[in-house]
Amino acid sequence: MALDVVREQVEYRELLVRITGRDLLLRYKQTAMGFGWAIFMPLVNTAIFSIVFTRVAPVDTGVPYPLFAFCGLLAWNWFASSLRFAVTSLSSNASLVTKVYFPREILPFSAVLVGFADLAVASIVLVGLMAYYGIVPGPALLALPVVIAVQLLFTTAVALLLSMANLFYRDVKYLFEVAITIWMFATSVVYPIERVGGRLGVLLALNPMTHIVDAWRSILLEGALPPAGPFAATAALSVVACAAAWLLFHAAEFRFAENV
Amino acid sequence: MRGAPVDFDGVWKKFRRGERHDSLRDLIPATARRLLRRGPRPDLAASEFWAVRDISFSVRPGEALGIIGPNGAGKSTILKLLTRILRPTRGTCEVRGRAGALIEVAAGFHPDLTGRENLYLQGAIMGMRRAEITRKFDEIVEFSGVGEFIDTPVKRYSSGMNARLGFAIAAHLDPDVLLIDEVLSVGDVAFQERCVARMRTMLARGVPLVFVSHNLSAVTSLCTRAIVLARGQMVFDGAPADAVREYRGVLPALDASADADDGRDVPIRITGVDVSAPGSSPATVESGGELRVRVSYRAARPVDAHIAIDIHSADGVYCAGINTQMDGQNLGPLTGAGAVDLVIPRLSLLPGCYLISAGILDGRRLHALDVQSRAHPITVYSTRRDFGLVCLDHSWEHRLEVVTS
Repeated sequence: MALDVVREQVEYRELLVRITGRDLLLRYKQTAMGFGWAIFMPLVNTAIFSIVFTRVAPVDTGVPYPLFAFCGLLAWNWFASSLRFAVTSLSSNASLVTKVYFPREILPFSAVLVGFADLAVASIVLVGLMAYYGIVPGPALLALPVVIAVQLLFTTAVALLLSMANLFYRDVKYLFEVAITIWMFATSVVYPIERVGGRLGVLLALNPMTHIVDAWRSILLEGALPPAGPFAATAALSVVACAAAWLLFHAAEFRFAENV
Repeated sequence: MRGAPVDFDGVWKKFRRGERHDSLRDLIPATARRLLRRGPRPDLAASEFWAVRDISFSVRPGEALGIIGPNGAGKSTILKLLTRILRPTRGTCEVRGRAGALIEVAAGFHPDLTGRENLYLQGAIMGMRRAEITRKFDEIVEFSGVGEFIDTPVKRYSSGMNARLGFAIAAHLDPDVLLIDEVLSVGDVAFQERCVARMRTMLARGVPLVFVSHNLSAVTSLCTRAIVLARGQMVFDGAPADAVREYRGVLPALDASADADDGRDVPIRITGVDVSAPGSSPATVESGGELRVRVSYRAARPVDAHIAIDIHSADGVYCAGINTQMDGQNLGPLTGAGAVDLVIPRLSLLPGCYLISAGILDGRRLHALDVQSRAHPITVYSTRRDFGLVCLDHSWEHRLEVVTS
């Protein structure tokens, strides 16, 4: 069964590209700023958190704070915006889901790819910031594709589950907004999470997103590889979660048309 | 038959009636109930019903299967099972190769995208490769007749243009099996003719075809075999002409069984409805020609009653409703057996398939004593190319204004 699922996806690969292209094109057509939004949002957030965490409650981040925050937000936004798209990806394409057959996982997959396109655009600003602060990434940069792959798998796993859940229970869309805000502050996006400490700190260390976001920063800003143990565990978890979510999605797929 | 391009084997499909649980508020009590209730779950819960019951058929290469039946008989469910949108509750349903579905041909269209962008998107949804679409692009645009509007967002298209572009894409899919749902109502007469020609070409190449329609004349002319459905069950499988006859037989039976349920005392019954047009086969009328509807009745006791006739189009539009009371026609008390003829000297309906209902109404309170609802199909044909439902008697006058300077 697992093989069939992948084979079908390969067969429909052009549709994934088309649907992703459609969503990107629509954003470009429907908004005046187009891809400018991908840069604007993390910049605004970086400015706000820079004021909070350098003037109101200064934290020691090791690297210049704006760089720390922007890099964290970049990785986090890929995760969060992919999921925001994915939650409604099946329910907002109801006319397709009820009327035409195609592998439905293409819709959440494309949500993740659209989020990645935003990351690619916003990374231009990161390069600018790094040049400004005089930070040159070392050979550790070669490991970045691995971090991207791990985040891709983990995001896809959550995207598949959320899109499916929202189809059966529309509350999920609202719950998601609350959950993603909590999750962001439970991840080392705008402050180093290890500062939390205590029993809560131990619990927070189990959050896979923290290890992924920290890996981005350690490779790009510190020129070092992320700690092998926790990162390997996160990678293994992502692979298993993605495979399990995909199989679950596939098993529930035939009920989608009756539940939109 | 094993190995046929389309194989439907003992298929059952269950649906839930009414509301589903789609918020957590409903889920929690429902789950609690399910956990508390012990024992095996019943085969069919009270809120469920069988939309399709034990249907088996197969379609061989070059065969065109028509599926006819009243609304709610399960026709669309069968098509959705064939297109893999739904999965059978029991039994197996297999379509070998690429299924080209001429159903909801514009489902993937996005209003903000241009015709060209939508063409590529819809093509990909139907399973075409980019190179294949590029190769057939000009042919598809030509077929659709959308022409120079191909780079205009489809939100500015008329609904006809939308459907024509969608159909053109689907028609160029080169499918292994073709599934069609009432698309012949798309576009003008010229476009419809092109569609039928396209279907015949595919059929001649050996592509099997499944055609769901209310248009009985299209089924008889295009199909090599037809099945009749009633309430989810197959009641006939055979030659299209016999199927159409069977279909007409099924409808009054359905109404009669519905009547039998309430068990009330009926003073008068419709014993037959005959639709005829002089000089043509029964139930086929030329636009503007004469149509006769004979309603035969049998009264258990003298009853003061009126006769009513309604005409609906195949897609459910109420076209006309006439009765003897509104026309000031006093039939007097009806006794024993007899018949009332309605004569329409010039039937001003445009070509298409229509359904005639006949009813006997109580003389004073005008409630129905007996009704055969949408039981009698007629096919109207014509060489006229007007649009809409009715052909209006008309002429044009052109007056030139004399301009004095």
